[in-house]
Amino acid sequence: MESVLQSKSLIQRAYWLVHLRWVAVAVLVCATFLASETLKVSLAVSALYTVAAAVAVYNFVLFDLLRYLVERAEHPSLRMLSRIITFQIGADFVILTVILHYSGGIENPFFFSFIFHVVIASTILSTLQSYLAATFAVAVFGTLTLLESFGVLAHYELVPFVSVDFFANRFYVLGTLFVFSATLYLVVYMTTSIMKQLRRQQEGFELVNLQLKQKDYYKNEYILRLTHDIKGHLAAIDGCLNVVREKIVGPLNDKQMDLIERGHNRAVKCLAFVNALLKLTRMKLTGRLDMELFSLKRSIFNAFAAAENGAKAKNLEYAYEMDTAVDTVYGESTLIEETITNMLLNSVKYTPAGGIVKLSVKDAKDHILIQISDSGIGIPPDETEKIFEEFYRAANARKVERDGTGLGLSIAKQVVTRHHGKIWAQNNPEGGSTFSFTIPKDLQSHPEAGTVR
Amino acid sequence: MGQRKIVIVDDDPDIVESMKVVLESAGYSVETASNGTEGLELIKEVNPHLVIMDVMMNSLQEGFIVSRELKSDPNYKHIPILMVTSVKDKTGIDFESAAGDDEWLPVEGYFDKPVKPQVLLEKVKSLLHES
Repeated sequence: MESVLQSKSLIQRAYWLVHLRWVAVAVLVCATFLASETLKVSLAVSALYTVAAAVAVYNFVLFDLLRYLVERAEHPSLRMLSRIITFQIGADFVILTVILHYSGGIENPFFFSFIFHVVIASTILSTLQSYLAATFAVAVFGTLTLLESFGVLAHYELVPFVSVDFFANRFYVLGTLFVFSATLYLVVYMTTSIMKQLRRQQEGFELVNLQLKQKDYYKNEYILRLTHDIKGHLAAIDGCLNVVREKIVGPLNDKQMDLIERGHNRAVKCLAFVNALLKLTRMKLTGRLDMELFSLKRSIFNAFAAAENGAKAKNLEYAYEMDTAVDTVYGESTLIEETITNMLLNSVKYTPAGGIVKLSVKDAKDHILIQISDSGIGIPPDETEKIFEEFYRAANARKVERDGTGLGLSIAKQVVTRHHGKIWAQNNPEGGSTFSFTIPKDLQSHPEAGTVR
Repeated sequence: MGQRKIVIVDDDPDIVESMKVVLESAGYSVETASNGTEGLELIKEVNPHLVIMDVMMNSLQEGFIVSRELKSDPNYKHIPILMVTSVKDKTGIDFESAAGDDEWLPVEGYFDKPVKPQVLLEKVKSLLHES
């Protein structure tokens, strides 16, 4: 995981360097044009434009290579990526030196641009590699200025910008090189120290994050064990009550029957709560869902049928519409079906008799959109997000049903999130509310499909 | 035909009692055991027409282990096993589709706790071909 993250960030950096180089090419062309045309500086204009063109070509090839590595080759190795970046930095030093050569060498104040790359190198590469990069910069640029100074290489003058021949003054050249190299090494030292500190901090954060996840895991295991224990007791209680309720051990008078019935109802409600909590907790503890291609169409029919009796009993206008394109999706079929069923049952529950409950399934570009709208009691404003929180129940929902688990929508959210979809609720302008969720279509190709985010 | 014999193996005495009452009221003769080892001995001694077994007793899979042992013994493999469970949500096992798979879950039927007398009687009757 960590190496994946690292390689991701290295890929980003490699691209970043490519993008910056486009900017550098543009700046080089503009600066050359401005300096030669407006300021009338004597530049080797054609040579500089050629260099700009060459860098553009080089950058394009590099961009293509990177894209190839990222898209075709499954996982470019860390070593490969760091080599590419090292190569880019080294090549940039050479390019910069060539540009400087054609624009005055040591007399061109732009030679301090080396610092940018040294900073970049120090943030990406190891400390040793960073010092080597700085040394390489000093070596290339030093060679250039010394060769120019000794007359081995031609010197391009920056008339009228610099009228004195600094380049030939060995004392000046050596002094400048000394300050230059000292500056570069100091930059490496400072940047790598700051980076070390940052990395240490990040490691700290990651460790804390890991510990939190661990704690969360233990918490869920604890809840699972506890809930399971409670369920065992509840099952025994209700089992015994059932025997009496069904008069297997003899007749009961009305008062006895009423009290037993009350006890049984509470046990059933408590069991529903415990079962919901077990389901939610188990989902949180499981690393993966068993996903497969399944007929969403059939799940929609099943879910719709499951809530139909309830809707009829309340004399609701109950209907669905589904895009013809909707067919199979990738996911955990039972969970998706249950989620739709529960949301329909919810809408039926919170919609007064004679109202409307409608299910709509739409094929959007990259996802399936499932919506359940009703003419029910709606959601108090500001609570459209809260209702997905565990154990949260809106006040008006509490009035309709006192003992709801407060877990139904949390489970739905967990299911949808596991499918990398979105879930939300809103009130309709004409009254009632609409619950929506999406299932992405490209889930099968998703590397983390079914895992916890 | 005589009285049908049923053995219940479950470590929860209250569940055992409620099932026993229901089954006895329907005319079955019921013997009970509270763990797998005891259960196996009892089954071999009584040679019942049906076994009702809890999945999770002392260990997570005790019910499975006893069931497999019975099914691998030619003398007892004909006895139908009805598995009782409250562990569906803990283990995530899909009992509905797994029941009847001899390799994996060698039982003839299952039902989820809590016990509902009518459901229990229906399942028992159908396994004993009485319905």
